[in-house]
Amino acid sequence: MKLASKSSLVLFLLPTFVFIFLFSSLPTLLAFSISLFKINFFGKSEFVGLKNFLRLFYDKYFYSALINSFIYLLVTPVLALISLTLAVLIKDLQRGQNFFKTIYFLPVVTPVIISGIMWRYIFNEDSGFLNYVISSFFNTKVNWLTSYPENIFSIMILTIWRGFGYYLIIFFAGLMSISKDIEEAAILDGAGFFRRMFFIVLPQLKPTLTLVFVLSGSAAIKLFTEIYILIPGAPLSHKTMVYYLYHQAFERFDLSYGSTIGIVVFVITLGFSYLNLKLIERER
Amino acid sequence: MKFFKAALTYTILILFIFISVFPFLWLVSTSFKGSEEIFIIPPKLIPQKFTLNNFKEIWTAIPFGRYYINSFIVTLFVVIGNLFLGSLTGFILARFNFRFKKILMFIVIVSLIIPQEMILIPNYLILLNLRLIDSLVGIILPSLVSGFSIFMMRQAFISIPNEFIDAAIVDGCSLFKVYWKILLPMAKPTLISLALLVFISTWSDFLFPLIILRSQENYTLQVGLSYMTGTFVDNFRLIASGSLLAMLPSILLTVFLSKYFEKGIFEGGIK
Repeated sequence: MKLASKSSLVLFLLPTFVFIFLFSSLPTLLAFSISLFKINFFGKSEFVGLKNFLRLFYDKYFYSALINSFIYLLVTPVLALISLTLAVLIKDLQRGQNFFKTIYFLPVVTPVIISGIMWRYIFNEDSGFLNYVISSFFNTKVNWLTSYPENIFSIMILTIWRGFGYYLIIFFAGLMSISKDIEEAAILDGAGFFRRMFFIVLPQLKPTLTLVFVLSGSAAIKLFTEIYILIPGAPLSHKTMVYYLYHQAFERFDLSYGSTIGIVVFVITLGFSYLNLKLIERER
Repeated sequence: MKFFKAALTYTILILFIFISVFPFLWLVSTSFKGSEEIFIIPPKLIPQKFTLNNFKEIWTAIPFGRYYINSFIVTLFVVIGNLFLGSLTGFILARFNFRFKKILMFIVIVSLIIPQEMILIPNYLILLNLRLIDSLVGIILPSLVSGFSIFMMRQAFISIPNEFIDAAIVDGCSLFKVYWKILLPMAKPTLISLALLVFISTWSDFLFPLIILRSQENYTLQVGLSYMTGTFVDNFRLIASGSLLAMLPSILLTVFLSKYFEKGIFEGGIK
């Protein structure tokens, strides 16, 4: 297109890139530099080099947060399995596809805070529904919110409940886009359902699987709101990296140490970002 | 065998319907219960004394109406910003070649993959310097346009054939007119999908508003509800009715526009 003068292009791009620079590019650079300082709200900030990073090594709460965040990665395969199974089942339905997809999607669009509020009541240890069912069968109660690792498990349930409808849609789209010819040929050859799944459908779904892995994996590492709403009173050692970042930066006002934890989160999710970038490039 | 397979399929699908819906039913049921009914054992799904009191009380117990308006203001501006700036930028990045295009694309992609959690603290400091802490503007500006919106719109504009644009140029359309009158209407389905995705995520947004907003009159619904769970410990029925009202827009949009969601997730699945 030739009709555009340079000045009009600049004019069109300027607002967007002012915002992106100010609230994304600049903060990215700042995040690294803040972690090298000790920020004082009143008075001068002081350069401390890698001190904040060294502090991480001796911080037991950081280790527990790191471990917990990695434990949450366990939801990734479970989510993939549930949503892929449901997507395959829905795809073969003659009718009602949209009905099922829409209902499964409701937890996805419900704000995390509200989902957390719902599940808090279900997990409530004295009067919640789950313990009511369990105690009427086994005469015991589960400390869904106060004991570790039970509360990790509760948060995983919430994460899976919130997520499967979303990944289902991604898998569904993936299933629709793969070629049917090969599968039909395999049916003619007498290949059973599971053989077709493993040798024909799954290999073709590889980009979709990668996408689901990237999205649910990086979400699991960065878990925060679910923790905040479901187990706010639990000890720090039950919490995740982003929660620990929040705690250091906004409850203890140690912004530079919080920023250092943010850098670690970035480095850990770098692998996911790399895979994400590959997928973006495929689209271009 | 065929019957068995169908039975198994429907059993699984209906089981998951139950799993999806059950927490909602519980919330709805609680929001219609009276105070004496909340913690009785065994818990009952159908309220014995059906009451609308909780829905009345929530407006007076906390500035719930204020939260609602705040959430709407923030979401409205963020949606409009992303639609307008995202499509304008996406249009130029899709249709023009110029010297700094590669650098700009790089900046967009970096913003797309940098975890929001990492730039949380720097953004807090930037807003502190701009004196925008504890204001709605402070949570609107950083979300006004995103790499995600630019990328999604760019994909939509790339696939539109050149002839449409060439014809418009022959007719003497200006650059803005080509964008506004020709390309934008053609990308309408993508715009609707983008609007929905941005609406849902902004309406639900929590961590950023939590750290930026200080005074109660500035809270969004999510922040207000989360603080309420700390203060009104036994008033679960009020929290339930508040939650129900607060999630209504998201639920309604999903039920009526689910096909656009699917399209959006499919096209924007790179988030």
